[in-house]
Amino acid sequence: MRSLLAGRVGSQVVGSLALFLILVLGGLLYASVGSVTRDILVTQMLINAMMVVGIQLFIGNTGILSFGHIGFAGIAGYTFVLLAMSTEWKERVLPNAPLGLVDISLHPFGATAVAMIVTLLVAVLLGFGLVRSGARSGAVAATVITLALLFVVHEVGTVYADLTGGRNGISLSIGVLLEGRTWVYVALFASILGSRLFKSSRVGRLAQAARDDDLAARSVGIDPAPGQMIALLLSVAIVSVAACLRVFELGTVAPSTFFFDYTLLTLVMIIVGGRKSITGSLLGVVVFTAVNELTRSLAGSGSGAGPLDLVLREGLTDIVLGAAMVGFMIFRPNGLIEDRELDDWVRTRLRRQEPRPAAPGPAPAPALATLRATDVVVDFGGFRALDRADLEASNQHIVGIIGPNGAGKTTLLNVVTGLIRPDEGSVTLKDRSIAGVEPFSIARAGLARTFQTMRLFPSLTVRENVAVASLSVRAHREDGGGPSVDELIAHAGLWELRDRRARELDYGNARRLELARAAALTPVFMLLDEPTSGMSDTESLAMIDEVRRMAECVGAGVVVIDHDLGFITGICDTIHCFDQGTVISTGTPAEIQADPAVQAAYLGVTAEA
Amino acid sequence: MTDLVQTLIDGLGRGSIYALLALGIALIFGVMHLLNFAHGETVTVGAYIAYASLVEMELSWWVTAILIFFGAIAISVVIEFVAFRWVRGAEDFTMLLTSFGVVFVVQAFFVMYAGATVRSFPRPEWADRVWQVGDLNVGVIDVVTIGATAISLAVTAYVLRRTMFGTSLRAAAEDFDAARLMGVRSNRVIRQAFIVAGALAGVAAVFYLMRTGQARPVVGLAPMLKGILAAIVGGLGSLSGAVLGGFVLGITEVVLRAWLPEYLVGLTDAVVFAFIGLFFVFRPQGLIPVEAGERV
Amino acid sequence: MLQINNLTTRYGAIAALRGVSLSVEAEEIVGLIGPNGAGKTTLLNSVAGLLRPAEGDIYLNGERVAGSSPDAMLRLGLALVPEHRRLFSQMSVAENLKIGGVSVGAKERAQLMDECVDLFPVLGRKWETRAGFLSGGEAQQLAVARALMSNPRIILMDEPSLGLAPMLVDLIFDLVDRLRREGKTLLVVEQNATRLLQVADRAYVLRTHEIVAQGRASDLLQRDDLFDVFVGRPRGEGDD
Repeated sequence: MRSLLAGRVGSQVVGSLALFLILVLGGLLYASVGSVTRDILVTQMLINAMMVVGIQLFIGNTGILSFGHIGFAGIAGYTFVLLAMSTEWKERVLPNAPLGLVDISLHPFGATAVAMIVTLLVAVLLGFGLVRSGARSGAVAATVITLALLFVVHEVGTVYADLTGGRNGISLSIGVLLEGRTWVYVALFASILGSRLFKSSRVGRLAQAARDDDLAARSVGIDPAPGQMIALLLSVAIVSVAACLRVFELGTVAPSTFFFDYTLLTLVMIIVGGRKSITGSLLGVVVFTAVNELTRSLAGSGSGAGPLDLVLREGLTDIVLGAAMVGFMIFRPNGLIEDRELDDWVRTRLRRQEPRPAAPGPAPAPALATLRATDVVVDFGGFRALDRADLEASNQHIVGIIGPNGAGKTTLLNVVTGLIRPDEGSVTLKDRSIAGVEPFSIARAGLARTFQTMRLFPSLTVRENVAVASLSVRAHREDGGGPSVDELIAHAGLWELRDRRARELDYGNARRLELARAAALTPVFMLLDEPTSGMSDTESLAMIDEVRRMAECVGAGVVVIDHDLGFITGICDTIHCFDQGTVISTGTPAEIQADPAVQAAYLGVTAEA
Repeated sequence: MTDLVQTLIDGLGRGSIYALLALGIALIFGVMHLLNFAHGETVTVGAYIAYASLVEMELSWWVTAILIFFGAIAISVVIEFVAFRWVRGAEDFTMLLTSFGVVFVVQAFFVMYAGATVRSFPRPEWADRVWQVGDLNVGVIDVVTIGATAISLAVTAYVLRRTMFGTSLRAAAEDFDAARLMGVRSNRVIRQAFIVAGALAGVAAVFYLMRTGQARPVVGLAPMLKGILAAIVGGLGSLSGAVLGGFVLGITEVVLRAWLPEYLVGLTDAVVFAFIGLFFVFRPQGLIPVEAGERV
Repeated sequence: MLQINNLTTRYGAIAALRGVSLSVEAEEIVGLIGPNGAGKTTLLNSVAGLLRPAEGDIYLNGERVAGSSPDAMLRLGLALVPEHRRLFSQMSVAENLKIGGVSVGAKERAQLMDECVDLFPVLGRKWETRAGFLSGGEAQQLAVARALMSNPRIILMDEPSLGLAPMLVDLIFDLVDRLRREGKTLLVVEQNATRLLQVADRAYVLRTHEIVAQGRASDLLQRDDLFDVFVGRPRGEGDD
């Protein structure tokens, strides 16, 4: 299992090689049949491919939309030129360059390395804000930050002529010309491999989980920020090298080289191909290189061919690109390939021969642990959601929470799992306070939860859904015990579906997956929020057994909120009934059902009573 | 002191344009949760209308202004109908990219049919005049812009507050489904939001173009970006915030231009963008957090 | 007046309603009770047009309306007072009422506004107050008044007494009764089942997305196994 997620380096190398060869051989074939211009076109395509791979690494794995990666490319491109240009040429073209740049001239390798470092420094700064933008502020912060970058680079490039040659840019004369494509090949292959390794790595999977559902990721112990930052840095590294190659190949750099047009081109390639898939993005590169060429040649032949002349003009390319962007967003926002890779089905076939793991025995009886919430108060504006609510649960029992709508049950769960900070009161786990602690820390400390609205990671497979939970916890716990991911999946009855994406599961299986994922944290407690919602009576009763078994095989206590009293009374040892933000009755199932206060809470009180 | 007042007027003059654009952007964001990058294309369309009207047809600026105004509304409505209507309710990512794509389609259209070169058109002859008021040199264009903007904002405020149409718009911006439950027609109210936004942008375009006198396919980009930044700085949920953001941005621009050393003056825009970008780096939730309101 | 046949609505993957059938006759008060998560809100939202049913039919006055938009339903005379009210908290009481009447002409709107103030004097006193600053009881009254502004013939109410103090609960149920006396038809979802059964004519019990009991309200109220119907276990079955 570990090797599965560590990326099986070998298979990724093969897969990358396959993609690389298809792209390159296709390009060479095309070039061989034509003139020199075709040759140049292919080189440009390969460099664009690398740029796209870099951008896709970030956007695809984190789900954060960056308009500014071309801004990073601009920084790298200019830095490269300023460092690699020969001093004689610099004296002619940029006599007033600051920082003594006129006297510096590095070998292209050195220049590329420095360009990458400079760009990475900028990326670290911006990343600080980009990765915290997350779910709370939506895409606004990321949009602002990345657009600002794009614009600032463009403006500086246009205005600061002493450094950048101004609007017309700089034409190159570098000691070593980009002869042949060896370095392009090497760089491109390395990028594809790097991106694939990241995508299948532990860090990558955790980032993808956060991309799919930020809140759910935090609830299974994932802190999205480090993964997103790593994705950003890797992507900027690739983009910066691609930028250097681009400039080297073009022989010139100007503000317009790395501005909106190029941003549109690269984004369209990613979006149309499929932003979550490297194969898809590369497909996008091929498609739009062809489209670009076609429209450019058609537009160029504007020699008055009647009505067609109205359409075939300069600007045709951008209209096609823009229209493709809009069209795909409307009709097929996930692109042509969505999120599969070229060799996914091969690996799936190979895995089909895996033997089904044996059922895990019940875990050894865990040491006694208590979850305690005392006098918790939560005010939402004028509305008091929790009014001195108490809860005590031991991991040796199953505790239920019932009560009418608006009684505060989910709010209490949110307080305990760190989604809400209580205004008053305390929450402790094993006598350590957890009130106001970050949700992912609470998950790692041993509280796993499920959601009323059921939050799985839709584009991850069943196995990956469970694995990311397990991974996020294992790094932080000394005791490495507990059943493996495969054992849990089999125990939940999902073995046959293990390679299916979570979004393809039917409702019952989806609920079981959520349960298995929570169990994968080998938690001290499993907190379940309405696990039977949407189920019929028979299904709810079946859940009793399923919850029990899951909890037993990881040795977790259970706290479950539900409205189905058939389920609750069947599974719980103790039940707390909530109403208006506080506990109104506690007891065994029999006691609770007979309690008139509980009946009143559910059925309402008569006017006279 | 005179410097201060002069800066203020200068800044408000520029800020008025941004305020009008920002208000339109905030309005559309309110009802659709869409950040409309294509809003600046109202200015682009206006620019070519100005060229056609002033240079090719030799009409007066009065007529031109009216044409620009209605042209802005028209393009706004068309874009909504052709593109944005189909992505309503989609996730942020999708809507941002749609709006991004639309910009290029419009721009490229002008490249195709009007060429990429700059086309100048005559600016009104009073545009450069300066009034001497005591010690102050007050640009006529600033005064006129501020005046027109004040009127536009007043009219918009009146419409939003006193008419059924405006009330529906505000209700839809606050809770779209609840508004539908009251009988507000979703298609209609969104189209109305785009009409109002287009009208505001039309006024902004008139004065922006009076200042610059140029038509290029990319002319809409810079005002768009400033409008968006102003709206975001003011907090995307707030209409008055957007207006305030616009004025603040205008004043900041003028202050920076005066304050920056000579060799950096051309980078005023860059400094403003950088400043706002960095602000968001350290505080991604912005000045006033946009309510995400997730149901758990 | 309102006929629902075999309605099935899905909420994502969840079948929130399975084959639900019910009817409401003119000038009746019909209650819909049941534990939470049963699908009561989904039912009202499906009828009001916020959700599109996957199967089944809804007829309003003989006209097939399943899948219509909310504003279309409103114009057919059906108004919903949603769960949690969904007032426009940034707008004043007066504006909330105005919006409620967006579908009627200005003159009728003014008249209805006067009627609302008669019915709910407290709204007249808080005319310019922002809806977000109203107390729970005031807010609920505004929500009902707002729904009345479209002059509906049938009113759907989703948990009108939620979060209200007992005295205000009385107010709400008196109101429900009064509305029927004024010729309105009502379908009311309530947690406070007992109170609702005291004022309704007929009622349905919805549990786990299906109707499990129905009949005259007074009959249901008499049942001594009502709680068990609610929770779904036949009386006498052992626990754990």
